Amino acid sequence: MIKYTLSFIVLLMISFSAQSQKRIDPTDKDKVLANALKEKFPDDNVALVTSKDFVTFGYNKRDQKVTVEHQAKENMINIDVRADIQAYSFYDGESSIEEFDIRYRNEKNAGFFIRDEAYQSEDLFHNDTRVQYTTIDFPVKGYRYLTNIIKHYKDIKYFTKLYFNGEYPVAKKTIVVVVPNWLNLELKELNFEGYDITKKVTNNDKGNAKIHTYTIENIEAMYKEESTPGPTYIYPHILVLAKTYKQNGKTINIFNETQDLYNWYKSLVNSLENDNTPIKDKVKELTENAKTDEEKIKNIYYWVQDNIRYIAFEDGIAGFKPDEASNVFTKRYGDCKGMANLTKQMLIEAGFDARLTWIGTKRIAYDYSTPNLSVDNHMICTLFKDDETIFLDGTEKFNAFGEYADRIQGKQVLIENGDAYILKHVPVSDAEFNKERFAYNLTLSQDHITGSVDKTFNGESRSSLLYYFNNLKNDKKDEFLEYYLNKGNSNIKVSNIETSDLLNRDDKINIAYDVVIKNAVSSFDDQVYIDLDFDKELSNFKLEKRKADYIFSSKKDLESTTRLEIPKGYKIAHLPENISVSSNNYDMDVKFSKDNNIIVYKKQFKIKNAKIETSDFEEWNGFIDQLNAIYNEQIILTKE
Amino acid sequence: MISRYLILLLLTVSVSVFSQSKEELAAKDFFWGANDTYKDANDIPKEWTNESAVIIYKNVNYDFHKFGKNVTYTTSIRKRIKLLDKAAVEEFSEFAFTKRFRSSKGRFTWKKKGGTFVGVKIIKPDGSITEIDVEKDAVEVDGETKIAIANLEVGDIIDYYYYRNEPFKTTYAFGFDPVETSLGEEYPIMDYKLFFETENDFFINFKSFNGAPELKEIPTEKKNMRRYELIETNIPKSEYKRWFYPLVELPSYKFQVYFARSGKFEDRALAFLPEKEDIIKTSVSKEEVLDLYDSRFKPDGDVGDVKSFFKGKSFKNDREKVIAAYYYMRHYYLTRYVEAFYAKESNISPYPFMVYGYNVVFIQNQKQFIRHFTEFLKRQKIDYNIVVGKKRYDGSMDDLLIERNVNVLVKVKTATPLYAEFFSPHTNINEFSPLMEGTDVFLLSSEKSKKRIDVVENGKLPTSTYLDNETKKAVTLTINDDFSGIEITSVNSFKGHEKSDQQYDRLTFTDYVFEDYKKYETESWIDLVKRKKDKAKYKKEMDALSAKLKTKQKERFEEAIKGEYGVEDVEDYTYEINENGRYSLESYFTFTESFKAKNALIKKAGPNYILEIGKLIGGQIDLDEKERKRTENVYMPYPRSFNYSITLNIPEGYTVAGLDKLNKTVDNATGAFISTAKIEDNTLIVNTSKQYKNYYEPNSNWDMMIAFLDEANQFTNEKVLLKKK
Repeated sequence: MIKYTLSFIVLLMISFSAQSQKRIDPTDKDKVLANALKEKFPDDNVALVTSKDFVTFGYNKRDQKVTVEHQAKENMINIDVRADIQAYSFYDGESSIEEFDIRYRNEKNAGFFIRDEAYQSEDLFHNDTRVQYTTIDFPVKGYRYLTNIIKHYKDIKYFTKLYFNGEYPVAKKTIVVVVPNWLNLELKELNFEGYDITKKVTNNDKGNAKIHTYTIENIEAMYKEESTPGPTYIYPHILVLAKTYKQNGKTINIFNETQDLYNWYKSLVNSLENDNTPIKDKVKELTENAKTDEEKIKNIYYWVQDNIRYIAFEDGIAGFKPDEASNVFTKRYGDCKGMANLTKQMLIEAGFDARLTWIGTKRIAYDYSTPNLSVDNHMICTLFKDDETIFLDGTEKFNAFGEYADRIQGKQVLIENGDAYILKHVPVSDAEFNKERFAYNLTLSQDHITGSVDKTFNGESRSSLLYYFNNLKNDKKDEFLEYYLNKGNSNIKVSNIETSDLLNRDDKINIAYDVVIKNAVSSFDDQVYIDLDFDKELSNFKLEKRKADYIFSSKKDLESTTRLEIPKGYKIAHLPENISVSSNNYDMDVKFSKDNNIIVYKKQFKIKNAKIETSDFEEWNGFIDQLNAIYNEQIILTKE
Repeated sequence: MISRYLILLLLTVSVSVFSQSKEELAAKDFFWGANDTYKDANDIPKEWTNESAVIIYKNVNYDFHKFGKNVTYTTSIRKRIKLLDKAAVEEFSEFAFTKRFRSSKGRFTWKKKGGTFVGVKIIKPDGSITEIDVEKDAVEVDGETKIAIANLEVGDIIDYYYYRNEPFKTTYAFGFDPVETSLGEEYPIMDYKLFFETENDFFINFKSFNGAPELKEIPTEKKNMRRYELIETNIPKSEYKRWFYPLVELPSYKFQVYFARSGKFEDRALAFLPEKEDIIKTSVSKEEVLDLYDSRFKPDGDVGDVKSFFKGKSFKNDREKVIAAYYYMRHYYLTRYVEAFYAKESNISPYPFMVYGYNVVFIQNQKQFIRHFTEFLKRQKIDYNIVVGKKRYDGSMDDLLIERNVNVLVKVKTATPLYAEFFSPHTNINEFSPLMEGTDVFLLSSEKSKKRIDVVENGKLPTSTYLDNETKKAVTLTINDDFSGIEITSVNSFKGHEKSDQQYDRLTFTDYVFEDYKKYETESWIDLVKRKKDKAKYKKEMDALSAKLKTKQKERFEEAIKGEYGVEDVEDYTYEINENGRYSLESYFTFTESFKAKNALIKKAGPNYILEIGKLIGGQIDLDEKERKRTENVYMPYPRSFNYSITLNIPEGYTVAGLDKLNKTVDNATGAFISTAKIEDNTLIVNTSKQYKNYYEPNSNWDMMIAFLDEANQFTNEKVLLKKK
């Protein structure tokens, strides 16, 4: 019985796969090439010897749509000892994958089984994106595969841009776009500066199309870094602006100008029924006792924030068309468009002038001067009141009325206005708006430090804390506060916590508490060594081996003051040196001083534009080194 | 042809739609019908108003029916929950399930499909009820149905059920997955009901533990049908706790249901079945264990390979012989094939097992191991017992109920007994799960007849001590001349039960298969490949695979060491294996690591430096206030010790002050933390030992444990001053 088991496994294996038999060893030339590419791209496992995008256009008479065929041919080579990677391509209701094949270097089919699955997104409850993929293995260095993927777009609207960089570095990247004469298309070149991209435009043989050919050599893979600006800021790419096309002598607009983009968006909005019967009672309830207009608006805006859960269905047109306000209201959930529409309808119901508003968040580099579906990714509501324009974003939980999240600040908005549209910008606020103020008043008692602490939070530092706190389980809320305040350090005992109302998003948050800190004081002989910093903000913030700007979630402004009373009979033997540095993006300052018998240790960190640019890195890292030196330096007291 | 098939398909679809709706209504009626006594239960007790959510009613049902070989297995659960915060609303705002599925039980059949029916209703604080239209609101993608619950708010009650119907066909006896659970869950429960419905041919083992109520029989209208229920009220929520076995301490129940059609199949069922279907089995006797296993573990197997291995070898005694045979089998029946598995898994060879030929033994499960190993012992005329035991977290042998919880090993009755367990690549002789150490077991043997196992007696497995299970580290610390960085070299050794996790983590397959090939003079997988062209190709690809695994592993270790020593940037990391420690439980598995780091452990103090030397013993358990107030007993895996020897090369021109804080002693019956420090030839030598002395501590000893745990944690905060001369 036992003996059969192994032979059974063996038989199973034979019938299983025959593909590996055909595999062929890399040539010497490929091995040399792999080594050369590894030298150029030491952090990558796989490189593309060549990568060619070939884009052509067609016309579907039945649907009256311009279609796109995007072929991506890659010649992949393993530049590591071995590599196991996934080849994949996404598609959705507006596109399809016509061909997906993977061949050995001798062009024989490698026989990988291509899987097809729904793409599961953390953020979207349901979406129609699917992915075709397979895992491919490169058994030795220099091993190559040739992949060919053809993706078909039913409507040129959804074909928005072409990148040169991809998941792997490319020795030679070519993008060819064949634009027929009947199609008016602008290929807008973005972020080309600093890249050696050559461009050639020729006529095709028949003379009825122009061939745009772009080439670049030795282009890096997209950065595998966190907190980077959106890809449209940092990589060279071609934005595809489909303007008009001619059919039967007629010129038809696609997105010739912003108005066309607006018209399409507006057509989706116009098809809404806007039956507000279900929301009338709620609006009445929220506004009837309000004394001022502002209170009415706030009551509505905050109700949407607090009561509408973010659940998104991105399925076909639902990705662009808002859900009915009454639906969102009854279901108590929706996506950004649904929340924007509900906010709008409730405000209209209450007698205000509210409009739907399209916007691209900070991740997107474009504004509406380049009409294209990749210009925006978000929807909010605009309120016009007494010559003021106020933006309301129902997805921003605990966001106060008239305040704007960093992710939309400074961005251009497209506001509905009947057949026309209005362009405006979301106001920008200073770092100070998000001020965090910490005040520690401490004394030494034997081996411990004891004292009281006051912390205040404003702006986004406030809303993020409120949001986090209010989404905790009731029975975990007290625990969380303690943990939040001692940062999980059991040497810091927190007690007598008093907070301002942690449901109020209009006022700053105040938290006061007492602390007893162990193991921060060491005494050797007659000297007392004190570690006075319990937060050590930014200590991990050296930006090394990084290629892109660092983007914070919001602007930061921290002012932390620690006052330590010198015990009687002691004097200061040593205080660390002050440091400070300033640039367009930050003002950083650490000071030690003496105020009678009190040591005052003050940190002021201001990140003004929520980013550290690559050009700042050297100076910034120098500062972080100095800061860490201070964090590592002890204050010394000696007996008088 | 195609069209006819299509019609057929349409027909079945419409039939199933019809039957589904009928079943669906039955499911709904079962929970929310006229007999629902919880339809108006909306209030929660005052003491639970600050919870995240309170379960007003939880009802779990198991229903077993059959018609001949056709079994219908229905499980369902209903919860009626008051949601008291946003976190709870979020938790219950989305549901996902598989509407139609094919059962994986019994034999494969295309005919019948299982179905899941879900019902959700929401009760608002004003008492108004909305039932969710699951069919309308759900989206289905790739067979998974998802629903977002509309109009759900804090203060609402959500009342939902999952009803899962699973028909399947089986000729032979079939054991359903056992259920072993404590009554409590994430949220407190006001009323709880577990309900069973079965008929003839279904055998139930069921027992309540630790004060959980008993299962009660309810009279039924039919003779061959039986109903049982377990009812409890006011069950507090359960939370994760360190060193805790819920099934040993909390009110719990365990059960397993077996389907066996006739006497013949009943006999063959691999379970402790009750005598008759209408008896609920609550315990298993020694004799029943003997009855079930008398032929199951009969010696069997071809031990010719071992015989060949023994040729020309002589052994001092039986003990030596058994030890040699165990390790030989571990190689010949297991590690010899490891390379081939890797070759298969990484697509290097499509049929790597061919090279071994057909007539080979490959031991892949406990049963096969026991039979094979005892066949060897029988041939060698070495006396043995088969040990039948249970893991400690599952309670004692007196509480044996479910066959699957039984663990079996061999006790070889040599002068000092040896224990042999089914091996993995690094299992040693005399090594068995620490969770069985010191437990009471049954010892089976063949006394009267050599053909059957016919004797069962009580026995007890030996224990290990904290000295046997050791993690030992020798850490040398050198500080740069300018105090800008440090260099650490650590020699890490592990033995006893502390060893195997490290071996599986730290050894790649090439680290040990070649060791075994050499020791047993066997050929590697590549050597066995016959075609010259393939051999060269496979060699290259296996080497590449091994190099890749080693690189990945080293990257992982480099990350891990950052956490261990609390340093952010590590440079010049090296990793080297010194001893594999694979041929005895007592031998050390040893590896050496070294690295350089900046901004670590050193703090500037005027002209002097403070060194956080305590951090070198790694992170220690840092008890929070809640844990200090623990009321449960303490269940640990095994006694163990962590011994560190730290050597600091004192920088030239400096002396060390503050040694007094490095001398600590807390030593009590539960464990110890002892540290000493001394200066020797320009080095500071700190030795620490943390010991957990027992497997189990009653809660009354918790304070003693806190004492040594706290002392160890405090040690990590200790510093010395490097004082300029």
